[in-house]
Amino acid sequence: MLATACSSHTAHKALRFWATSYEGDYAPHLMTSFTARTGIDVEVQSLPSTAAHEKMLTAFAGREMPDVFVLPSGWIAEFSLIGAVAPLPSPRLVSDVIPAALAMARLHGRNYGVPWSAAPQVQFYRRDLLATIGLDTPPLDWESWRRMGRDLKRKRPDDFVVLTLLNWPDMLFTLLYQSGAVLLRDRDTRGNFRTPEAEQAFAFYASLFAEGLAPRALSTEVQDGFAAFAQGRYAVWPSWPSLLLDLHRRRAELPAERWGVARLPGPRGPGPTAMIASNLCVSTQTDQPDAAWALVRHLASPASELRFQSLIGNLPARASVWTAPQLNQPVLRPFAEQMRQPAITPKIIEWERVQVEVQLVAERMVRGLLTIPQALATIDGRIDQILAKRRSLVEAGRIA
Amino acid sequence: MTRQERTAWWLTGPVLAIVAGVFLLPVLLALALSVTDYSIYAFASRANVQFVGLGNFIGLLRTPLFWRALANTALFAVLGVPMAIGLSLAAALLLHDKTVRWKPLWRVALFAPYVTSVVATAVVWRFLLNTRYGLINYALTAVGLPTVDWLGNPHASIPAILLFVTWKIFGYNMIVFTAALAAVPQDLMEAARLDGASRWGRFRHVTLPAIGPTLLLASVMSVAGFLQIFAEPYVMTLGGPAQSTVTVLYFMFDEGFKWWNLGQASAVALILFVLILAVTNVQTWLGRRNQWL
Amino acid sequence: MKRHRIRSLVANTAVAVLTAVTLVPLVWMVTVSFMPRGASSHFPPPFWPERWSWENYYELLVRRNFDGAWFDYRIMPALWNSLAVAAIATALGLLLTVPAGYAFAKLRFTGRERLLKVMIAALVVPGQVAMLPLFLLFKELGLVNSYAGVILPGLAGIFSLLFVRQAALSIPEEMLDAARLDGASEARIFRSIVLPLLAPITVTLALFLFLGSWNDFLWPLIILTDQHKYTLPVAVAAIVREHAADGELMMAAAVVTTMPVLLIFLPLQRYYISGLLSGSIKG
Repeated sequence: MLATACSSHTAHKALRFWATSYEGDYAPHLMTSFTARTGIDVEVQSLPSTAAHEKMLTAFAGREMPDVFVLPSGWIAEFSLIGAVAPLPSPRLVSDVIPAALAMARLHGRNYGVPWSAAPQVQFYRRDLLATIGLDTPPLDWESWRRMGRDLKRKRPDDFVVLTLLNWPDMLFTLLYQSGAVLLRDRDTRGNFRTPEAEQAFAFYASLFAEGLAPRALSTEVQDGFAAFAQGRYAVWPSWPSLLLDLHRRRAELPAERWGVARLPGPRGPGPTAMIASNLCVSTQTDQPDAAWALVRHLASPASELRFQSLIGNLPARASVWTAPQLNQPVLRPFAEQMRQPAITPKIIEWERVQVEVQLVAERMVRGLLTIPQALATIDGRIDQILAKRRSLVEAGRIA
Repeated sequence: MTRQERTAWWLTGPVLAIVAGVFLLPVLLALALSVTDYSIYAFASRANVQFVGLGNFIGLLRTPLFWRALANTALFAVLGVPMAIGLSLAAALLLHDKTVRWKPLWRVALFAPYVTSVVATAVVWRFLLNTRYGLINYALTAVGLPTVDWLGNPHASIPAILLFVTWKIFGYNMIVFTAALAAVPQDLMEAARLDGASRWGRFRHVTLPAIGPTLLLASVMSVAGFLQIFAEPYVMTLGGPAQSTVTVLYFMFDEGFKWWNLGQASAVALILFVLILAVTNVQTWLGRRNQWL
Repeated sequence: MKRHRIRSLVANTAVAVLTAVTLVPLVWMVTVSFMPRGASSHFPPPFWPERWSWENYYELLVRRNFDGAWFDYRIMPALWNSLAVAAIATALGLLLTVPAGYAFAKLRFTGRERLLKVMIAALVVPGQVAMLPLFLLFKELGLVNSYAGVILPGLAGIFSLLFVRQAALSIPEEMLDAARLDGASEARIFRSIVLPLLAPITVTLALFLFLGSWNDFLWPLIILTDQHKYTLPVAVAAIVREHAADGELMMAAAVVTTMPVLLIFLPLQRYYISGLLSGSIKG
C-alpha cells in the first residue's frame, strides 16, 4: 500500500509498517502527511491479530521484519530479549507519555517502544436495558454487579447479560488483577494461582457462566457481536476503546442515547483492569533507522494521535494530547480514570502463552470439565512447564 | 559407465538432489532438533540451546494438550475413514449401476469438491454449520430435528469438521472404486447369478473380494490423510471449542511457529511420523493376513 | 421389466439427489457472494439473493481510496502470485520428474532398484516432519519470504516420479532397442520416442501439479510473511480469521479462490480422472 508522494525525488526506498486490526487498517490515513513532508513512502500491512505472533516471529527469523511495527506491551519483553526491537535513541521521544503506559514499555531501565495508544478495559452497557431494572449505571462492586445480572436475566431469560467469550483471556485476567492476585512467584519462574485471591476471581468468573449470564461460546461462533449487543442479546460488553468506533459507524443499529460506558467492577469497587497498550517499535533489522525513527516521531505526534483518535477511537498514550477539546467528552471519562490504574503484568517472554493457556484451562472449567481447585492446580502445573526454560536460565544467572 | 548410465544420472540427478536437500536432510535435522530444547531463547544466544536427550518426548507425555491432540486425531481417523470410504464406495456402486444414465455428468459433479481449495471451502462450511444462520441447521429444523451447535459444542465439533472433510474428499476414492468395480471379473458374476445368489450374496462373495486390495489401499491412504488434518481446524475453529479440534499437526504448528519451541515441535513431528508408519504397517499386515493383498 | 424400471428410477434419483446435495455448498457460496452486506445473517437463511449486488467483489478486489489513502485486501495480487507460483511449479515439476520417471523405468543404471526402494519408503514419511527444520535451513539460505522458498519443497516430487515411471513401464523395449541399434543417442530417443508416448500422462501430471500448487496452504502460510507475496489461500485465510462476521465478503473470497480451479478442471477433467484411474489400481 503506497501513499502518494508529493516531492519528486526521494533518496529512500519505502518504509514498511506493520500493525494489527483497526490500527493496521486505518494507518494509511496517517501516512499521507508524512510522505508529503519527507517524500518517503510508507507501505502499510495490516496483520490479523490471531496470527500476528507467528507472523512476526517467522519474519524476524527470516530477517524480513518491517522497519516499524506495533507491539502490544505484553510482547515487548519477548521481542526485546530476542533482539528484534531497537531501544529508543533518546528519552525525549517518551517525555510526555502517561507513566502507566511508559512503565509497560520499559525493560531493565531502557525504553523499547514509544507507547502509542492505551486501551484500558471498561464496560459498555445498554442504558435502556439497565433502566428496566431501575439502574442508571452499572454497580461497581462484584456482588451488586452480579445481582444486576441476575435481575436482568430474570427479566429476559432468553438473552444473556455479559458478552465475554471463552477464548478471550482479558475478562478473566481483569478479575484476577482486581482481586489482587499475584500470578507468578520465585522471580516469575513459577505459577502462583493456588491463592485465595485467584480462587475468588475464578469463582466469580465461573458463576457468570453457571448462572447463564454469559454464553459458553468462542469468538468463531458469535459471528457479529455488535449486532447481538445492538439487538439487546447482551446488556453489558466489557470491551476496549475501539468499540467506540463501531458504535459510531453503526449508530443506525444502536443510537447513542441507548448505551453508556463505565469502569469495570472490582471486589469492593473499581480497581486495575487489563490494559492493552500498543507501542511503536523500530526493528533492529532495519536499514533505514533514521527514517524509521522519523516515522515513529510522526505517528506519536499529538496531531497524528488526535487524527487517529477521531478515526478509530484509539486513546492516546501521550498525556498532553488529553488536554485537547476532542478528548474532553463525558464518554471518555471512564477510560481516562481507568488508564491511571492499569494492571502491572509480569515482563516475561512467555506471558502471551501463559495467558492463552490459562484461558484454555478456564474454558474447560467453565464447561464443567474441571473444578476450580483442579483448574488452578492444572494452571500452576502448566505454567511451571512453560517456564521451565526460563527457570533454568534464571537459576544459572543468565537472565534476570 | 555405459551410455545409459550417464544419461540416467543426468535425467535423475536434479530431482534426486532436490529430494535429498529438501526432504532427507531436514528429516535428519528434525531428529537432531528433537533432542534439543531449541526455543525462542535461541534467538538471544546460540548458547541457550542445550541437548536434552529424551526430555522433549517426556515433556510431551506430561502435556495434557498433547494427549488431547492425539485423542482428537485418533477420533478423526476412526470416525472419518469409514465415513469417507463408505460414501465413496456407495457413490461408486451407484455410478456403476447399469441403469444410471449421464454418468460422466454425475462423475464430474461429485468429484468437483476434491479439486477446490481447503481454505475456501472451509470458509463456506463454517458458514453452513453456523448455529443460527446455517443451511444445515435450517435443513434439520425443516424435517423436525433439533438444531445442533456444530462449532460451539465440543462434542459436535469433530463430527462437524468430518462432514466437511468427507464432502471434500469422497470424490477421489469414488473414482478409484469405479475403476476397481469395472475390473470385477464378469464371468464370476454370471456364475454367481446363475447359481441363484442374491444381490447381497453376489456383492459379498464376488465384488468385495475383487475390490478388496483397492479398498485396503484406499483405507491405508485415507488413514494417513486423516492423521494429518490441519487446515480445517485452523480456518474453522482455531482448534476449539475447548481444544476439541486440536490435532497433532495443529499442535505442532502452534508449538513450532507460534511459540517457537522448535525442539519440542520436532519431537511432535517425529511422533506423528512413527504413528503413521505404525498404523499403515498394521493395516497392511491385517490385509495380508486376510489375504486381501 | 417393471423391476428394471423401478430400479432405474431409484438409482437415477439417488444419484441426482447425491449430486444436488454435494453441489449445494458450492452453489450457496456463489449466491451468498452476490447478496448485499448483512443479508445472510437472518433466520431462515436465504438461499437466493433478494437483490443481486457486486459490492462484495468490489470491496474485495478493488483498491479503494479514502481521503488520499488506499485500502486493499490485496486479493488480486495474491491471485497473480498463485498463478505465477503454480505455473512455475508445474513447469519445473514436469521438467524434473518426467525424465527421471522414464530413467527409472527404462534405463539401466547401478543402484536403480535400491534408490527406488528408498523413495517408496520415503512416501510414508509425512511432509510435515521436514517442515520445521526446512524453515531453519531456508532461513540460513535467505529464502524465507521468497517465491523460491515456496516452490522448492514442492519440487521433491517422489509421487510424480513414481507416477511417470508407472506409465513409462509400458513403453515397449523393442522400440527403444531398435532406436539404439540405429545409432540414436539417448537424448534423441527421449525426445522423439518417449516424450510423445508420455504426452497424455504429462498432461495429467501437469494438472495434478498445478492444482496441488494452487491449493497448497500450510507451507506458504509458514514461509511467506509479506502480504505482497501471499498466495491466494494464505491471503483468504488471513482475512477469514479476522473478518468472521462478514459472511458475504468471505463467500466472495471463497469464490475467487475456487472458480479458477473449477474452470481449469471442468474442460480437462477427462485427463485428470483418467490419470487417477491409470495410476491407482496397481498402487
